[in-house]
Order: sequence, then structure tokens, then C-alpha cells
Amino acid sequence: MDPLHAPFDPVALAVPFFVLTIILEIALTRFKAVKSHYETKDTMASLGMGLGSNVAGLLTGGAAFAVTVWVWNHRAFDIPMTAIWAWVALFFLEDLTYYWFHRLSHERRFWWAAHVNHHSSQHYNLSTALRQTWTGVLAGTWALWLPLAFLGFPPAMLAIQKGISLVYQFWIHTEAIKRMPRWFEAVFNTPSHHRVHHARNPRYLDSNYAGILIIWDRMFGTFQPELDEEAPRYGIVENLTSFNLLRVAFHEWAGIAKDLAGSRSLREVIGYLFGPPGWSPDGSRDTSATLKAQWDAQQAAKKTDLAA
Amino acid sequence: MDKGFAIQFAGSFAAVALLVALAAWAKIAKPMSPLSEARARALFADEFPGKALDGLWVTNDGRGALARSGASALVLCEVGDGYAARHIPWAQAVAASFRDGVLKLDLADVSAPRARLAFDSWPPAGVA
Repeated sequence: MDPLHAPFDPVALAVPFFVLTIILEIALTRFKAVKSHYETKDTMASLGMGLGSNVAGLLTGGAAFAVTVWVWNHRAFDIPMTAIWAWVALFFLEDLTYYWFHRLSHERRFWWAAHVNHHSSQHYNLSTALRQTWTGVLAGTWALWLPLAFLGFPPAMLAIQKGISLVYQFWIHTEAIKRMPRWFEAVFNTPSHHRVHHARNPRYLDSNYAGILIIWDRMFGTFQPELDEEAPRYGIVENLTSFNLLRVAFHEWAGIAKDLAGSRSLREVIGYLFGPPGWSPDGSRDTSATLKAQWDAQQAAKKTDLAA
Repeated sequence: MDKGFAIQFAGSFAAVALLVALAAWAKIAKPMSPLSEARARALFADEFPGKALDGLWVTNDGRGALARSGASALVLCEVGDGYAARHIPWAQAVAASFRDGVLKLDLADVSAPRARLAFDSWPPAGVA
């Protein structure tokens, strides 16, 4: 196998499956067999972002791939693409890398700016899965996979495994599946776990960053189960008022630029760029942490009232 | 752009058009009815947990609401089959342009530049 050219692209192969399952979800919802919602403009925005991300990837992905090849050319070990142990090792290592990429993409504004569009729908259906970034390569998070290339995993192998992860994550963007079997929920990322990830309820913020395996969230303390008493409300903390694709794709970048233009110190520049989303010098805006603290205080007050 | 990509892109574009048309045909958006005061209060409670409302005004068309919470004006407006909310200084809301029954609020936010709320009059008597 050619270590630089993947013999197949899991995402391209899965496109017919994406289309057919969205048709199925819409049809089943229409005939009330499952619970879901599709709003026309929202669906158009999600699928438009997916289409645009293909073009963006074509325009910018070459540079990332070139760097990956360069690093692999300076690799520490030779890892054969034909060895099963190598695929098993890559499955776990790539998924661990994805976890940290995803966590970084939520917890630091610079990378959130590239990822926020995926969360900007107030719906959670299979079309939401395709609401993909246009600026991921520019944000540079692909560099997190470079250590795998340095270890010796060939670029083609990395491309295939990243594609498998992306395809896996498609089917979990649905409200049609309530819970998977208990053993599956314990190990794998599921619709239930990922609904929590897409929720904007304070108690659900910044949790369940998993790609394929939910074990990383359990290990690193970011796991939050879906609770029957609190249905997820989808979207972002401050929802968009527009379905315009350019606004969906670039609003956080524009927000960063506006904040940087008004910065008065290096501390403010660093805070606006690399602080958590919502960071502000005077604390006047809300971050996930402040929203969670407000929610905790509200729950504590309710308990006190009940006790009295 | 190579030919293979162009074919794939054209196919994807056609699939997107089909799926959007199907979603429109299915009419399976969340059911939306004009906001009642109780519903607006519930939405504000979700959006701004812990903030007490000193006053609440639902728009004539039921597609938005504005509330006063201390020195803040809390703004809620319909987007598709959902809502978006922001807060601005109350004084700014009171001084905002009101013409032909529409209050135009500058939300100073790239992701929500402005809100248009339909009221009979603005500001409400006695609260400015």
C-alpha cells in the first residue's frame, strides 16, 4: 500500500449513506415514527456548510497534508500499513488525539472560532452532523495529529482513520435513537452522549468531547450523562439570528477581530485569542465556567428554599 | 479543480437541493405559536438563569419579547423555529429608534447585529 495515498476515502464512500439516512430520518419524522425536527433554512445552512467545507478543504488541506508528509519523512519508527496491530494502535491513538483536539476546540476561543459553526444549529438531526467547519485548516488543529506521523504512522493511514472517525460521528447526531445497549453506552460515543455535547444547558456545557470512544471523557473528567429530567436545548450559548452561511462560518472570527481591535494590552490580546470563549477583561461576559457557577448557585438556592 | 472533484461537488449540490426540498415538504419544524407572557418568561429563565424580571413586554406579533432586569434589557427574538437572546443596557433600549411600530435595537454583536421588535408604543409609559 502506498503510504502517501489512501486507497479509499471513508467519507466519500459514506456520502450515499449520509443522504439516504437523512431522507430516512425526515420520512420517519414526517410519518411520526421517530421524534425529530427539520427546519428548512436550518437544514439548508447545515448542508451548505457541509458542501462548503469540501471546497475549503480542497483549497487549504494541501498545506496540512504537505507538513504531515514532511514530519512522516522524519519519523522515529517505520510502521507498516499492513499490520493489524498498527491499525489497532492507531484507532486508540487517533481517537485520543481527537478528544484533545475537540476539547481544545471548545475551551479556547481561537479554536472555538473554527468549530462553533458545527454547534450553531438549534436542531440536532443528521443534517447537523454535516454542518462542518470552513476554517479548520487555518486554525491549525491538524498539527495535533503530527506526533502520530512522527511516530511513523503513514499519512494515508492517518487520513483513513480520521475519515472513519468522521463517518462514525455522523450517525450519533440524532434524536431518533434514545439509548444504545448499556455496554455500548459505557464504551462508545452514542446519540445520547453527543446530544449532551451539543446542548447549551449550563450543566451540559463543555462535556463529552469523544470521537468514537467515550472512555476518554470518563478518564479525563468531562463525561456527563444525559439526564431524563433535563432535555438538551441545542445551539450555542448566544444563538445566531441568521442562517447566512458567511455569518455561520465566520462570526466568531469577526468577533475576535473586533475584540482585538479594541484591546488595550497584551493581556487582553492573549485573553481574547486564547482565553475561554466568552472571556472578557472585566468579566462582563459569560464563559462556560461562569454559566455553570450561576446555574449551581441557582440550584443551591432552590434547595435552600425547599428546605425552608 | 479536477474533473472528479467537480462531478462530486455537482452531485453533492444536487443532493443538498433534494434534501432541503424534502425537509420543506415534510413540514417538521418545531411548532411555533405566538409567544405568551408565560412562555416568554420561561424562555428568559432558560436564557438568563437567575435574572429577575422587573418588567416584560411581548411583541404584537408574538415573535419576540423584551424584559427589564435591573440595568439590563433582555431581548428575545424568533429565529426560524427557535429563539436567540441577548442583553444590552436598559438605557440603550429605551433610547433606541422606534418608528412605525417597530423598535430597532442595535445588539452590537457580529452574530446578532440587531433586533426588530413590534410594539404599539415605546418606551412603555412610566418605565423609562
